[in-house]
Amino acid sequence: MPLLNSVYRQREAGKPLVTLDDYRAAGGYQALPKVLAEMDPDDLQYEFMRSGLRGRGGAGFPMGKKASFLPKDSQRPKYVVCNADESEPGTFKDREIMEFNPFQLLEGITLAGYAIGAVRGYIYIRGEYEHQARVLDRAVAEARAAGLLGTGLFKSTFDFDITVYRGAGAYICGEETALLESLEGKRGQPRLKPPFPAVAGLYHSPTLINNVETLAALPPIVEKGADWYAGLGTEKSPGTKIFCVSGHVMRPGNYEIVLGETTLRELIFVHAGGLRPGRRVKAVWVGGSSVPPLGEQHLDTPLDYEALAAAGTMLGSGGCIVMDDSGSVVRTTLRLVTFYRHESCGKCSPCREGTSWMEKLLQRIVDGQAGPDDLEMLKALFGRISGRTLCPLAEGAVGPVRTALELFPDDWADALENGVPVPEPMLPVSS
Amino acid sequence: MADYARVDLDAENQVTFELNGRQVSAPAGTMLVDACYAHGVEVPIFCYEPRIGPPVGACRMCLVEVEGMRGLQTACSTPVRPDMVVRTDSPAAKDGQEGVLEILLMNHPLDCPVCDKGGECPLQDRSFKFGGGKSRFFEGKRHFPKPLELSSRIALDQERCISCFRCVRFSQEVAQDGQLTMQERGVQSQITTFSGDAYEDRFTGNIIDVCPVGALTSIPYRFVARPWDITNTPSVCGLCPVGCNTELTLRDGDVKRVTGRPDPNYEVEEGWLCDVGRWGFDGDGGITRLTRAIVRDANGERHTDLTDAVAAATVALRGASKPVGVLLGATATVEEAAIALELAGGALAGARVARLGIPAAPLAALRATPRAQLDEIERADLVAVVGGDPGLAQPITELRMRKAVLRNGARLVTIGSRPGTLADVATHVHAAPGALTAAVAELAAQIGATGRPVVLWDEAELAAEPAAAEALAEAVSANGATRQIELGADVNGAGLRALGIPATGLLEALEAGELGALLTVRADPRSAPGRVAWEAALEGDVPVVALATHADRTTDAATVVIPVQSLLEQEGTLVSMTGRAQRVRRGAEGPAGAAPGWEVLIALGHHLGAPPAYRTASAALAAAGGRYAGIEGLTYDAMGVGGVELPRPAADHLAADAGPARAAGSDGLALVATRDVYGGREASRAPALAAFHAPAAATVSPATAAALDVTDADTVTLTSPYGAASLPVRIVDGLSDDAVFVTLGTADAAAEALMPPDRGPVRVGVSVEARR
Repeated sequence: MPLLNSVYRQREAGKPLVTLDDYRAAGGYQALPKVLAEMDPDDLQYEFMRSGLRGRGGAGFPMGKKASFLPKDSQRPKYVVCNADESEPGTFKDREIMEFNPFQLLEGITLAGYAIGAVRGYIYIRGEYEHQARVLDRAVAEARAAGLLGTGLFKSTFDFDITVYRGAGAYICGEETALLESLEGKRGQPRLKPPFPAVAGLYHSPTLINNVETLAALPPIVEKGADWYAGLGTEKSPGTKIFCVSGHVMRPGNYEIVLGETTLRELIFVHAGGLRPGRRVKAVWVGGSSVPPLGEQHLDTPLDYEALAAAGTMLGSGGCIVMDDSGSVVRTTLRLVTFYRHESCGKCSPCREGTSWMEKLLQRIVDGQAGPDDLEMLKALFGRISGRTLCPLAEGAVGPVRTALELFPDDWADALENGVPVPEPMLPVSS
Repeated sequence: MADYARVDLDAENQVTFELNGRQVSAPAGTMLVDACYAHGVEVPIFCYEPRIGPPVGACRMCLVEVEGMRGLQTACSTPVRPDMVVRTDSPAAKDGQEGVLEILLMNHPLDCPVCDKGGECPLQDRSFKFGGGKSRFFEGKRHFPKPLELSSRIALDQERCISCFRCVRFSQEVAQDGQLTMQERGVQSQITTFSGDAYEDRFTGNIIDVCPVGALTSIPYRFVARPWDITNTPSVCGLCPVGCNTELTLRDGDVKRVTGRPDPNYEVEEGWLCDVGRWGFDGDGGITRLTRAIVRDANGERHTDLTDAVAAATVALRGASKPVGVLLGATATVEEAAIALELAGGALAGARVARLGIPAAPLAALRATPRAQLDEIERADLVAVVGGDPGLAQPITELRMRKAVLRNGARLVTIGSRPGTLADVATHVHAAPGALTAAVAELAAQIGATGRPVVLWDEAELAAEPAAAEALAEAVSANGATRQIELGADVNGAGLRALGIPATGLLEALEAGELGALLTVRADPRSAPGRVAWEAALEGDVPVVALATHADRTTDAATVVIPVQSLLEQEGTLVSMTGRAQRVRRGAEGPAGAAPGWEVLIALGHHLGAPPAYRTASAALAAAGGRYAGIEGLTYDAMGVGGVELPRPAADHLAADAGPARAAGSDGLALVATRDVYGGREASRAPALAAFHAPAAATVSPATAAALDVTDADTVTLTSPYGAASLPVRIVDGLSDDAVFVTLGTADAAAEALMPPDRGPVRVGVSVEARR
């Protein structure tokens, strides 16, 4: 129920931790020397596994398990790549970490690097995060000058450095293999898997890729122990998670909660200040725009991986977009599909062409130019896209539409009849 | 094109699995698409192209059902596994394939009736075979400006593109020219070059062959024919000694297009062609093509018909009181050479037969060592190129070497006076002209330490340094695993040598006044190396009968000129530099006033009173196959459609075929006569290859230019003991210092004027002629 700022150490400190001194004063850089002095890489990996920490980028894959997939006997160098390409609509949690608590991320990446025996870490930050990239650059320089990056960290034999690499503004580069392609200087497009990045990732070498929030969660886990972390939340969803609440709420923002303790209703109405007076919840995309929406009837769902899955959606990135009854589910669905059409990389046919087809159909529905056959066509398209693409982008485009059709049949019937009027005021929709 | 990889169903390691209810097998690691195809089940594909590289899974066309795996799988990227149960024709798999086709056709314009690809289009064919037959797409299609000129030879119709990335991958991974890319993303993705400039390079035409839709089409072939107007004939390219297998597209008695074979010859070109091989056919016609016979006598010059010309030729040859010389050019076919030899044994008894080419003796030992076909390059761990610049002289070999490096991690070493076109992937070991022997000794040590080395050696450069050739022969035979590949200089040099025809002797006899007449077959000695000596020897009243396709310096002066058909027009056999005998087929009809070279030679035999016992090229070859050990048993049937490898020549083959021993001397700069099919005479005749046309030049390193005090605005006169030539200066990095590089085979035959007939080492003096 209450917030627990474990990753958001800056909130506990009550000020931005953008200098090394401030971060240290707030308890930072205690985990790394402890690990280097006392722990084997394998022990550290085991610690991560025991903590139960799951990937916070969207898929929720256990972090320790992912690290254990890296081959121990590879002749190639190993890398840690931090996925800071935070581009999921409604998601802005990593931005706050990088902007106000950058050293915790650097410490987390270094810990992960030590656990897998990596030689270098990369932070792939989305191109639009120009300021945050500058903050990270400064933090890296400061850490390097203080001997926290470079050779022989804390007088150990461990050498590790971090490079900040800016993307060029493509949503698809948040997909781990497309990110690697882009990081290698190529066109950002997903790779065929297998091989998985753990085996052949960056420069065809074993690579651990994790989200900013995941890696920033590592220092507290080491400081307070895996047991402490595993004891938070539910058995399968331990720890804290940041939710980014946006949309029709009075206090939009980032809220770090303990998984399973807080319900969606509490998140919206207690932490985020509730809706505008007289409004009711229409739809909530809890885990970013790629997850199926929930309706008012789902507000008492606890926020953890399992409960949200049972409700028919996903925890995703935690980008919780709230829409009250002044909004149109149909028009919002079109806007989301426009986004996916625009961001489809174009590598595989069902996504490249299918998202464009879906957008055109939805546009006609919004314009009141469609008939019942078009709704059937839309449903038929789901099956022709879903499960047939190279990466999950198209799944993210199909899922929300499919669920919106199921949850809000009256809205669609009305749209078929009358179209969807343009709301006032409305920002222009870029293509 | 090739589409599916070859599958060896007899190899070790077979994995048994169930395919549409049948128990079948394929070697472990085979991709499902290929295994299915090998068992007669076509799984449709678009982006998969095993020749380009590993699967990318982009088009999603090859969806199949694999029991126990969630959803549909892409058969192009799923390897066979023991006991897997695969269904390519189940309702789910069919829905997958139908669905992808419907989606691909969504934005694809239905302009098949005006599309060059229509009728031979994989998208069209697979839509009929695997599609639902009906589209449910009613929205407006995407539009792009059309068509764009991707280059002077390739049109890009972006609307038709289905983003299979084959062309981009070809550019990046096969040709490795790094030029093509996809710009924008999603439905707005479009093919372009990085720089936005035209896609001008040496292997660009292959992207037309691999394009599964009509997005990339040949500009010279644009709107020329529809697939039902044409017939296709398998043939062999006659523009360089590699012998790439080609397919000729014929309409109205003319070659309209040359493409790679749909069923590639993996031992030779692997389905790829260089742009000269693809568009060089265009130069077969043109204003220099001989269309009527010419007779020159006391009454002057007259055009005449073939019968009259053969009669006049008979008079000229029979009238000679001394023996006749017969000179065969590099493109003379095996049949023509064999008939010429037969004439020399009968109708023209005592005739001396020779070829225009490089003497064989210095290279005989090297040629007798274990030889490989080009596919062996892919299996090598060390590939060494000794001399030459194969990317320009034997272009398709470059793609194999690049493949060996990129896909198989082979080490590539180039040894010689210039880094050449492989510089970006090879370690270049510099060896100045005349200094190959020391470099070969170093290479020998490397070969000894390697598992599967393949050595490619340049015929011309090693013939000029016999000691290096001998050392290389020893190095190759020392390690039982080493294979060598000759980078030949002459198109059918190997075929002429197989018949025992020397490169030496004829000119010497002519100079000594021992010959009464000269018969040339596709040979232009007045443009060949040593042309000054040839001109002098032909100065007197020796009548010349020239069989040629195009007007040249020899036909301009010959007594009788008989037009013959080109290698696109007549039957024939060429032997590639790797010893493959392959058939050239009759494609175009050719000018009415020209006849096949072999037919003219048979007719001469008849007129001279000693008719050969055959009337066709096929029978002429069969007769030769029974007579000459080098081509023993060779027939058209034996060659089939892919050719046959001839036995390697013995180490003492043509042992007497050597020029005079000669040291290059030490005055002046070393002359390196280079070969460049892109800048050669044949390419310069083809309008489609205009982008390659460049004037001949005296190319030097920056240091040499400085030493000579010249810039690339100057013209220099080069003088050798054999002749002189004036050429503009070009300055290129990375070349040997104290050397001048001049390209052979250009229209002005400048390098040839500086060289002796046996092409031995030459040094030239340089004087600045004009400053601009």
